[in-house]
Amino acid sequence: MDRLLIGLLLQAVLLTPSLAAASDFYAVIDLRAVASDGERSFLNGGLGELRFDDQHDGARVGSISLGYHHAFFDIVHFNANAVAYADGDRSPLDLTEFYAEIRPFPWHSLRSRLKLGAFYAPISLENRLPGWRSAYSLSPSAINTWIGEELRTIGAEYDLDWLGRQRGHDWELGLTAAGYGFNDFSGEVLSVSGWSINDRQTTLFGRIGESGNGPVAGLREFHRDDDQRLGYYAGGTAKYLDTLELRALHYDNRANPNTYSYALLDFAWRTKFNSAGLRWTPTAHWTVIAQWLAGTTIEGDSGFNTAVRTDYYAFEYHAAFALVSWQRGADRLSARYDQFEMHQTQSDDTFNNNRGHAWTLAYERELGKSWSVILEALQIDSSLAMRTSIGEPVAAAERELQLAVRLQL
Amino acid sequence: MRIVAMAPIAGCGRIGARAAGTAMLCALLAGWGAGAAAADVTVTVLDNAGHGVAGIVIIAESDAAVPEKHAVHTAIMDQQHMQFVPRVLVVQTGTGVEFPNSDQIQHQVYSFSAAKTFKLSLYAGHKYPPVVFDHPGLVTLGCNIHDGMIGYIYVTDSPFFGHSDGSGQLQLHGLPPGNYTLTAWHPDLEEAGGSTLQLHLALADNGRPAPVFHLSRPLRSETAHDGDKRWTDY
Repeated sequence: MDRLLIGLLLQAVLLTPSLAAASDFYAVIDLRAVASDGERSFLNGGLGELRFDDQHDGARVGSISLGYHHAFFDIVHFNANAVAYADGDRSPLDLTEFYAEIRPFPWHSLRSRLKLGAFYAPISLENRLPGWRSAYSLSPSAINTWIGEELRTIGAEYDLDWLGRQRGHDWELGLTAAGYGFNDFSGEVLSVSGWSINDRQTTLFGRIGESGNGPVAGLREFHRDDDQRLGYYAGGTAKYLDTLELRALHYDNRANPNTYSYALLDFAWRTKFNSAGLRWTPTAHWTVIAQWLAGTTIEGDSGFNTAVRTDYYAFEYHAAFALVSWQRGADRLSARYDQFEMHQTQSDDTFNNNRGHAWTLAYERELGKSWSVILEALQIDSSLAMRTSIGEPVAAAERELQLAVRLQL
Repeated sequence: MRIVAMAPIAGCGRIGARAAGTAMLCALLAGWGAGAAAADVTVTVLDNAGHGVAGIVIIAESDAAVPEKHAVHTAIMDQQHMQFVPRVLVVQTGTGVEFPNSDQIQHQVYSFSAAKTFKLSLYAGHKYPPVVFDHPGLVTLGCNIHDGMIGYIYVTDSPFFGHSDGSGQLQLHGLPPGNYTLTAWHPDLEEAGGSTLQLHLALADNGRPAPVFHLSRPLRSETAHDGDKRWTDY
């Protein structure tokens, strides 16, 4: 995929007057004042678990997000979300999602939906704002940080919904299945850097980090498949009125871990996990969200006869969080506890284990229709074995205080 | 509920720009029952602690011949902050309902309920003419873009209907003597029989009965709606 193509597509959809007249468009400018004592961030070649480290705090661009939606023929919805972080990504302004959804009217209580393009799998219950931003804090949980860093469905997703409430029932049910490519290297960032908590999504054509097998590799890039094997996920959703939503998903990128990319100087990562979550809104003021995710990722499996090398890295990982949020009028207060762990089950040389937990407190106040301010305090206590390779202690207590001013147009 | 008389009839007209506690004097509208000893009936809905329950749909249906229908009316089911407003509307058969969209984003309203199947293609503002609800029954509304938007239109042949007010009461005016079935309905009722309760009412000449619905369980919590943010269906 070529950046010229993105430019042309964005121009086509954003600047065509006849389309724009009947379309939805948003822009969100998010500027931050940051105080951090974090270890060197992944944005600066480090293994800190925060987005901003102690050498790169102060006044920062949180993000500049742009979104566009247009409906064709009443049932085809085209969506594009783009973001700029001003942090040296090779694509200064780039897409995070770009897809079309075919969404016909329900047939009795059943409705099919088909998404084609690049978009997020239905895992996060926090990231509900346009542009896949968290509605509850600046930084999403460890689970959803990882989803934003390494996972994107670049392919097709089919959903079948049973709209039971239209039939007088209290429940709605949904089934999801998807096939996708471009995710053969998902798992590398997690295996090298461990879990982190930040709102820095990887863009479709961007690149952050270094390729290869260095200690701070952690390349964030969606790269074409070299093994020609489609990944898949399948899952389900259940909603009880507007009060409770349950989700479960099984994900498998089906990468051949012995496929070597000469462009990335790396082997593919076979990444599989299960995830589950719930969002409970018992009253109009309270929301409770919990998510859990656990899986494995393997690189250079010597069991494949086509191995270029026989290195064999295998990891098991899991993470979970619980979030409580209270809202009244223009005020929202949220607290979240994250717990995460990753350990290596096999290696030909270095073992890299990661364990930790984090507290996040966030307060948001809306100032009219367009402006809002968000104050977030985040502390992560973690250990990451790989830190010794860059001369840092394994254990770290990292704190970040951010004040964001947002303007939504 | 906003009810606008399209063709006002002498002796009646626009009643109840606010739904609670209002009932339609439809007998007067149609001139039906004139001269008979029509009665006013106050219906009350109480919870199990004896407090009035607001917003309950109440309908009085005569066991005798179906009363004449009143003049054509138009009611409004708005869309505000990604919700149907009002959430529950009760209209007489033959009423046209407008579906303006007061949000800044498009909605795609539909129903596949047996009493009325329709769909309104994506729109914003005040685009479509009223949809006429010409069969009695419960119509559940949805938005194909925002699945959380659920609304209800209860369509009845009877001209005697309304919502209970803040004290749980509704006055039905001008009921001729006879036998009636009183129905109380709300989507959040969780009674043993579901979301509907019924009473029989024998209305004699000059009678002024005051029937009471006693709820055995509290209403299910109001649908939670955490703000009017543009939640996206991720």
